[in-house]
Amino acid sequence: MAGSALRRLMAEYKQLTLNPPEGIIAGPVNEENFFEWEALITGPEGTCFEGGVFPAKLVFPPDYPLSPPKMQFTCEMFHPNIYSDGRVCISILHAPGDDPMGYESSAERWSPVQSVEKILLSVVSMLAEPNDESGANVDAAKMWRENRDEFNKIAQRIVRRTLGIPN
Amino acid sequence: MRSIGISLLSFMLTTVVIANAYYQKKQFYPSVVYITKSNPSMAVIYIQAFVVILMFGKLMNRIFFGQLRTAEFEHLMERAWYAVTETCLAFTVFRDDFNPKFVALFTLLLFLKSFHWLAEDRVDYMERSPVISLLFHLRVLSLLTVLGALDMYFVQHAYLSTITKGASVQLVFGFEYAILATMVVNVAIKYALHTVDLNSEMPWENKAVFLLYTELIMGFIKVILYVLFVIIMVRIYTLPLFAFRPMYYTIRNFKKAFNDVILSRRAIHNMNTLYPDATAEELQNADNVCIICREEMVTASKKLPCNHIFHTACLRSWFQRQQTCPTCRLNILQTNIPTAAPRREERPRVPPQPPNPFAAPNLFANPNLFGRNDNANPFAGMNPFQQILNPNEQNQNAANQAPGQAPGPSAPTGGDQNNAQSGSTSNTQTTPNNTIPPMFPPFPPFPFMPFMIPPPLPPEHLRRLTEDELKRLEGQERENVEARIQCLRNIQIMLDTAILMMQQYSAAASFSTITSQVPPPDRSSAASAEAASRETNAPDTNSASDPGDAAPTTSSNANDPQFSATSSADPENNNVEMSTSASPEGPPEDEVRKRRLQHFQRQLEQQQ
Ligand SMILES: [Zn+2]
Ligand SMILES: [Zn+2]
Repeated sequence: MAGSALRRLMAEYKQLTLNPPEGIIAGPVNEENFFEWEALITGPEGTCFEGGVFPAKLVFPPDYPLSPPKMQFTCEMFHPNIYSDGRVCISILHAPGDDPMGYESSAERWSPVQSVEKILLSVVSMLAEPNDESGANVDAAKMWRENRDEFNKIAQRIVRRTLGIPN
Repeated sequence: MRSIGISLLSFMLTTVVIANAYYQKKQFYPSVVYITKSNPSMAVIYIQAFVVILMFGKLMNRIFFGQLRTAEFEHLMERAWYAVTETCLAFTVFRDDFNPKFVALFTLLLFLKSFHWLAEDRVDYMERSPVISLLFHLRVLSLLTVLGALDMYFVQHAYLSTITKGASVQLVFGFEYAILATMVVNVAIKYALHTVDLNSEMPWENKAVFLLYTELIMGFIKVILYVLFVIIMVRIYTLPLFAFRPMYYTIRNFKKAFNDVILSRRAIHNMNTLYPDATAEELQNADNVCIICREEMVTASKKLPCNHIFHTACLRSWFQRQQTCPTCRLNILQTNIPTAAPRREERPRVPPQPPNPFAAPNLFANPNLFGRNDNANPFAGMNPFQQILNPNEQNQNAANQAPGQAPGPSAPTGGDQNNAQSGSTSNTQTTPNNTIPPMFPPFPPFPFMPFMIPPPLPPEHLRRLTEDELKRLEGQERENVEARIQCLRNIQIMLDTAILMMQQYSAAASFSTITSQVPPPDRSSAASAEAASRETNAPDTNSASDPGDAAPTTSSNANDPQFSATSSADPENNNVEMSTSASPEGPPEDEVRKRRLQHFQRQLEQQQ
């Protein structure tokens, strides 16, 4: 019998392929290692990220689902809750007690109830509604608050870039 | 490509150096002497040796590991970097012994170390890969054998050298190889456990426990080795700075393993003693999937005080991380009071435990004290509210049930034993109010009313009691005072649990299919305080709020005494279900977060 983390990841992968949520594709990079996934997230409609397809990678710990995975966008991103190297900073990816930003209630935190699908949906909603209290990218948070037009412009440029369209 | 170029260059240089030496000296020994005397030649020879070692490493790597994964390579590089730094530090301690042989030995040590690390990573990888080939087993087994044999050889060599020639740099080598040997043993045990697990049909639940103890014992051995090494080094040479970083990590890992074992033991203990096994019926109702592993629950499962059901094994590993319910985040360790209820369900015939603080005021267990109160439950009709609000005897009978059943949920069949016990539970709330003089104002603002602990129950007919009886009631004996303090503590715990429960509500609300927001704890407690005051103002609804009836129908969590307690706190709104507890006007919440949550919910709905 394979490890419990592996079995759960396989179950989630199966679930995601059978019943994919809209605008999200995710799966292991290769079928020999289920602990590294690639995901493609489409920007939510009606937001400045609309139309973009954003690649990201998820790395799962050996004790998944007891500990949360790490998620990192592999394309350029400009967003208050995404570090400039692409790492995503949202509460669902942190266990209670591990609080880099100090603003989240424990209700939204990681627990085995969460799943890859919920993480990706949270990321989609994060793209739609940035939380500018979290300072993963301070510049982006500031711009989001104070100069929304400029922010939208940068977002649109990133969207075009992910689609391979020159600026 | 570049590495091939460097190798070729190095080979060419070596050839030139050797050819030059031979050309000048014509004979073997003089040429060797010539080369060793000439610094540039020696430099070339050293580089050549380094290249040869690297090539040999690559060959070994191909044989034992095949292609390295990116993560493995990064891990290796990181550790190698530290190891090189530490080796340089070690050179400073042994600068007197510094010679080519010394450098060669350290290089060899580094070389073997990296193979140990890779072996460790590889064996950890076993848990992650769905396919483990025969080649994998062959490689790991042969690698472990070779590494183990080499480690033992070097340890022995160092030991003999130290015995015969006295302390030297061999001390460091002996120690380093001893550490590596423990690593080989550790990896071998892990490998064996993984292999057994892979070959078994059923999930092997105890594997985690074995791994934990392996980690603990190996950590302990390593810590001892490090401490011994530092002591010896300090006595013979100086403080071995180069050993401090690995020593620090070893001690930290050992501490972590130790904590893990303790937490694990506590989790196992709690699970075995506090939480009942889930019945087949309960499994059916809970759609039968364990939320932790997403597999069906056919094997042993446990039910937490909050009624959530999980695999015993899954729960155990989770409790090593956090002592909360994975679904609703109810803090398990702080929920000892409510867990008394399921325990009672398990063995309803067992009388209260001797150290039960509630039993302390024996005074109250004596029904004769209260004149006409010959009821089995000595506290019947002692609710001050009933006494005040419902002076007529009829209401009293219905109300008598209330304090008895509120803490004992889902036990409507509770026999005399049960009744007596829950009676003594409500006793806790009685005690602090014993001291209330008979002339106390009729509507005391009981601070704990919002949380609907069974209402405080001073004896019904204080006025009729004699002076003497009142004195006994108030109690000056030590046990009475103790009981009172205990009781105050219990109230504090209940307040804590009530707050937790509110958090649990909001947690549950954000997880399940709820469409509106849940008020934060303080707000909803204020709401139930309102409800409580309504209760006091409306005597008719008071007796109607029989928690015994209300609780089982309200929520799936009715078995939790807290839940039934809260539901009874709100007589006009019997369905205090998690979803309906959301108040329409909502708390003054951060607008952004609210919208985020709604967006998330929309997504969830669409997907359903
Ligand atoms: Zn499970
Ligand atoms: Zn729960």
